[in-house]
Amino acid sequence: MAILVLNPLQVTNFFMPAIRNFAGLPVIMQIAICFIIISVALIVYIQFRLFIIRYKGHRLEQKKAKLVPFIDGLITEHILMRTDIDSSSDVNSIIIDTAAFNTPQLSGKESRQILIDRIISYKKGFSGTIALLLRKLYQDLEFDKVSYKKMNAFKWSKKIKGIRELVDMDAPISDVIVLPLTNSKHRELRAEARNAYIKLSKNEPFKFFDISTEPLLMWEQIELFKTITTTKDISIPNFARWITYSNNKSIISFCLKLIVHYKQTDAAPAIVKLLDNKDHTLRAEAINTLGKIKYLPAEDQLIHLYTNQPLTCQLEILKAIGRMETGRNIQFLKQEFLYSTDFDVRKNAAKSIIMSDAQDLIDELFQSSTPENKLILKHAMNPLIKY
Amino acid sequence: MQFILDKIAKFYESSIFIYGMALLLVYALLGFFSFIAIRRYLRKESYTNYDHLLTSPLTPGISVLAPAYNEGLSIIMNVRSLLTLNYPRFEIILINDGSTDNSIEQLVKEFELVPVDFAYNAKLKTQPVKTIYKSTNTAFNKLVVIDKVNGKSKADAVNAGINIAAFDYFVCTDVDCILDKDTLLKLIKPVMDEKSKRVIATGATLRIANSCTIDSGVILRMKPPRQLLPRFQEVEYIRSFVLGKMGWTLVNCVPNVSGGLGFFDKEIAIKSGGYDPQSFGEDMELMTRMCRYAYDNKIDYAIRYIPITLCWTEAPVTVKIFMRQRTRWARGLAQLMYSHFKMLFNPRYGRAGLILMPYNFFFELLAPIIELTGLIYFISLLVAGRVNTEYALLLLLFGYSYSVMITTLAILWDQMTFRYYKTWREVLFLCSTTLFESILYHPLIVIFSMRGYFYFLTGKKHTWGNMQRQGFGQVTAKA
Repeated sequence: MAILVLNPLQVTNFFMPAIRNFAGLPVIMQIAICFIIISVALIVYIQFRLFIIRYKGHRLEQKKAKLVPFIDGLITEHILMRTDIDSSSDVNSIIIDTAAFNTPQLSGKESRQILIDRIISYKKGFSGTIALLLRKLYQDLEFDKVSYKKMNAFKWSKKIKGIRELVDMDAPISDVIVLPLTNSKHRELRAEARNAYIKLSKNEPFKFFDISTEPLLMWEQIELFKTITTTKDISIPNFARWITYSNNKSIISFCLKLIVHYKQTDAAPAIVKLLDNKDHTLRAEAINTLGKIKYLPAEDQLIHLYTNQPLTCQLEILKAIGRMETGRNIQFLKQEFLYSTDFDVRKNAAKSIIMSDAQDLIDELFQSSTPENKLILKHAMNPLIKY
Repeated sequence: MQFILDKIAKFYESSIFIYGMALLLVYALLGFFSFIAIRRYLRKESYTNYDHLLTSPLTPGISVLAPAYNEGLSIIMNVRSLLTLNYPRFEIILINDGSTDNSIEQLVKEFELVPVDFAYNAKLKTQPVKTIYKSTNTAFNKLVVIDKVNGKSKADAVNAGINIAAFDYFVCTDVDCILDKDTLLKLIKPVMDEKSKRVIATGATLRIANSCTIDSGVILRMKPPRQLLPRFQEVEYIRSFVLGKMGWTLVNCVPNVSGGLGFFDKEIAIKSGGYDPQSFGEDMELMTRMCRYAYDNKIDYAIRYIPITLCWTEAPVTVKIFMRQRTRWARGLAQLMYSHFKMLFNPRYGRAGLILMPYNFFFELLAPIIELTGLIYFISLLVAGRVNTEYALLLLLFGYSYSVMITTLAILWDQMTFRYYKTWREVLFLCSTTLFESILYHPLIVIFSMRGYFYFLTGKKHTWGNMQRQGFGQVTAKA
């Protein structure tokens, strides 16, 4: 089998006349030659970049592999294993040997950042005196200044890093600096600032709810929910305040979720007012909340509203009545189960009937229902089927 | 006569020139767009803490749909792998589409399944469902198994799954695919992170699992495929997903969310009519229909892609199976363009009508036809002695070097996202594959696409494609 071997010299010789006579070539050929040169140059450059990316990543990994055990050793020796401290010790009076952390090994910018990340990681895992001592170490090494510098940087990504470090180390940040950032156009920065504000603000941690014009995205709600429900010593307000006055629908929606979490039944009157809201998504959420907090006075109003509601709200009303478990409106549920043409309505009515534990009615429905409705009842009663 | 022929030839040559330049420009733009999209994604990702989602009561639920037909070889391991997904609120719906092997018996035994009286609501029409199973073991309470009559298509099976899906979002995957354990966390993030648009679908990069080290349905070590044909496909997937779809995501013009792994808004999918069992490219067809539905109903929608690899699939290793797959894809594309031709250049469909459909029509559907006619024309000129060899070779070199450059760029973007392969040598090995792609692999694609178009025009019958998988054993490659 003949194998064609291209000699680079032969190739060059073949194309040389064309390259030498570049100006005399048709425009298309000139463009082609330019593109060939650019493409080849880019291929070589990309290979080089690939090598650099991999090399940098590899080097950082190696550095971390070397430094992390060293840092862990230092923290263990100078913070965790100290025998001269107990839970009653005054942390400010304890002297930490910062010189041990200022070794040449930990002098570079990259190494210092690894050290900061490690201290933060330990701080998250401890509470009490050890956590305070780690915070002191962070301050004694003047890493708080580094974090403040990051927070005041122009780049949003640096600002986030700075805020996060300061919050993780419980370093004080002025409300005046963070509050404007809670309404930043940049989503990540806005979210970080809101989380920081809740954790750090001593006066009104929820003040940004009043000034927020940007929507609270679903992701931000998850993050905020976590921060609010896990931060210690935070004064939880009555969220009905924002349900009544806020113009920001996402804030209202988020407050409804917090009302369910904190079981704020005293917020119910404000939620009932939402039943007149034009936005049916918000209305459905309000009905859902009323059901979850078992606000029984609203039950009759929900049934009164039922006929004029879109399907999503109707389903929420059926679920809410089931959750309230009063049994007062069992006939309404029976009627919907027997006569509704919508499958989901019948399914949710059946589930609410089962929840109300009206055994006589269930037996009666088994006798009188169509085969499909019987199946729906069996579905709702089967403990193996969750949804 | 000669004058007319010369005029036609001149017109053809000019058209091809404009077409070629437009194609190169599109690829250059995609390269640029994808770079911006990946950079943005990575920056956001570095500040994301997925633990919040894992512990929050506000986390939305997701139904994972996995259709299976005669997958008895690996079904148990694959279901076990799906059950280990890292997400707080999800269900796995496995649809056994009338398998003729012992898949259902294996499932019943392994997962302690019993038939349940499940109220099945056929929002989407499918072949009849025979039985629905749930496990009596609480360890498998997330699993639902549907046993249905064979619908002769994956679409029919998935539609049955959508009908019983409990949550507002569903992920569609193939039961033989291996998913990253954080797949659901990563796929729902773009939905929760969108300010004003409704995200109707999300996709992520797919990769070839053939030479990876796999244990119990988990990828332990990623390697480029050793065999040439799967390796070409790996390169093609990287270019298509990391460069192509990430580029399109920046301008909200994603043409398709892959059938191997796709995340969808259930309400829109149902209202659009679900998967079309008659389609050969059911994933792309559904996506187009969902876009169409969104425009018709004035829903400001978005389709998002993420550059990280979340799914690995077994690629065809023989030309015969590869031919079947690509013929089917090409046929699906032809079908799609035919049934949604009204969208082409229709301003009513916004970007989908003015960018997406024209791109699909000119640079996806017509590309193999233009290449083939170009080749025939070139040979006829060669025979007639009307070719300047030097110029012809320069132009070939131009096309070749550009294509190698674009693919190498895609590999760079991929490595920027994550250093998927352990060694530099493996990356180099993959890069070297790009040198042969246009010579050895691309002609196959052109031929198989033409075959697909021919079948579309002649209306050849279709059944579930038999991929003749080898299955992933306990450890498929030595570490």
